[in-house]
Amino acid sequence: MNDLTHDEIKTLAKAVDIDIPDELIPEIAFSLNGLLEALNQTGVENLEAIEPLPIVIPTIS
Amino acid sequence: MELSNIPFLSTTDLSKLIQNKDISPVEATQAYLDRISNVDSDLNSYVTVCGEQALSQAKQAESDIASGKYIGPMHGIPVAVKDQFWTKGIQTTNGSTIHKGWIPDEDATVITNLKSNGAILLGKLNMSEYASGDAFHHPYGRPKNPWDLSRNPGTSSSGSGAATAACLCSTSLGEDTGGSIRGPASFCGLVGIRPSWGRVSRYGVFPASWSMDTVGPISRTTEDCAMTLKAIAGYDPKDPYTWNQPVPDYGSELTGDIRGVKIGVITERVDTEANDPEVRELVKTAISELGNAGAVINEISIPLIVHSAAISSTIISCDAAALTRKDLEQNLEQLDHNNQVRLLMGSIMPADAYLKAIKLRELLRRQILDALTKVDVLVMPTSSIPAPKIPEKAGVESKEEVLQGFKGRRSFTSPFNLANTPALSICCGFTSAILPVGLQIVGKPFAESTVFKVAYGYQSITDWHTQRPKI
Repeated sequence: MNDLTHDEIKTLAKAVDIDIPDELIPEIAFSLNGLLEALNQTGVENLEAIEPLPIVIPTIS
Repeated sequence: MELSNIPFLSTTDLSKLIQNKDISPVEATQAYLDRISNVDSDLNSYVTVCGEQALSQAKQAESDIASGKYIGPMHGIPVAVKDQFWTKGIQTTNGSTIHKGWIPDEDATVITNLKSNGAILLGKLNMSEYASGDAFHHPYGRPKNPWDLSRNPGTSSSGSGAATAACLCSTSLGEDTGGSIRGPASFCGLVGIRPSWGRVSRYGVFPASWSMDTVGPISRTTEDCAMTLKAIAGYDPKDPYTWNQPVPDYGSELTGDIRGVKIGVITERVDTEANDPEVRELVKTAISELGNAGAVINEISIPLIVHSAAISSTIISCDAAALTRKDLEQNLEQLDHNNQVRLLMGSIMPADAYLKAIKLRELLRRQILDALTKVDVLVMPTSSIPAPKIPEKAGVESKEEVLQGFKGRRSFTSPFNLANTPALSICCGFTSAILPVGLQIVGKPFAESTVFKVAYGYQSITDWHTQRPKI
């Protein structure tokens, strides 16, 4: 996956109606692209079978 | 006993002396206030010191104890709490200028519980803004590590670590979303536990992440930590996710006997080059000592654990962004630079990435819980490094720097926030630069008693908990 560009970061911000000052765009790009890359580095396959339910119920063993 | 020596007592010893009327709560409180006055200008561990209120509470405790109304082991104990917890009539800042001067009209449940157990509130402790371990600017002064003033005491419960290590309170409370209790405990040579999620009420605690925020104690010994947790834990109708079961008597597990306890060593996090060599050797030695004391040592693999910081950061940044949306819109310039970046990034996180993180969290949780079906506790370092130098600048300059950051302390502590299991840090030695190193002990959900049992077993055969910084 290619890194998100500064313009794409601005588009994401516009989509959620949040203002991001121009001077913060480069660092936000580093941070978000780093995070997305790190998530892709997990190498886990077949995530489709996992339900993305939030964990809020205590498990008692 | 000289008044000036009282702050160096363990909470357990001070409690006995107060119960026996050998020391009065007023003497103890005044001794701590004097020490705060003499020392804290070097540490910046307190945001607010509640001198008058504390002495007033202490006089009441003294009167009650004198008239036979002794409540229990926390009665008359001077404590301090992270400034993330609401305190009725006392400023609560959450480490931010945005909340400067805000005075809650009610207490957080953990504060109510401390007070009902007779504890004396010395003050509110410094912290990273909005409980973010990434925050650079500290508007109430940069907290320092008592073992080396040029170093970080750990985040985000920085003041809780610094004040407890420097004996500026008898015991303290912190909050742990990704490691904010265990990090300061490790860097400051203390015992700190992140309890199971649902064991301690979150009511009246400024939130950082709905499914991972946990309040817990940071103390100088295992007994003190267990005593403090017992005082704050339990069901709270104001927090519907607290567990409606009695809180065990943690003290009854503190026998020192760990023969036969099964301990799993997490291979990916112990004998790895990711660790500082001194940290690696100290932790391996600690594990050997546990084995010598009769514990059964096994190696356990948790493959996803090395990715936990990325999973955790994705979820926490999104949660925190949603929680602070109003501040992002109205007070952005008042926020710390690193928090601006982190929270704005969380605001624009693609839903696909967020859902992927939640799925990975579930897989990691299954791996951790599966490992805990084979052993009683898991062990690994609390951090790959001892306390680092205080950073000199905010911000990141490349994607590679961000990726490198995911290999640090958060990838050692956050797995257990993600899995909602109890995890404790206890000092397991010092580096050649006399910096503490933490051993992390992880238990099954709601098995804090077993975690304390192993921690106390280790403490019983070592003397690290008796070491004090020269401040």
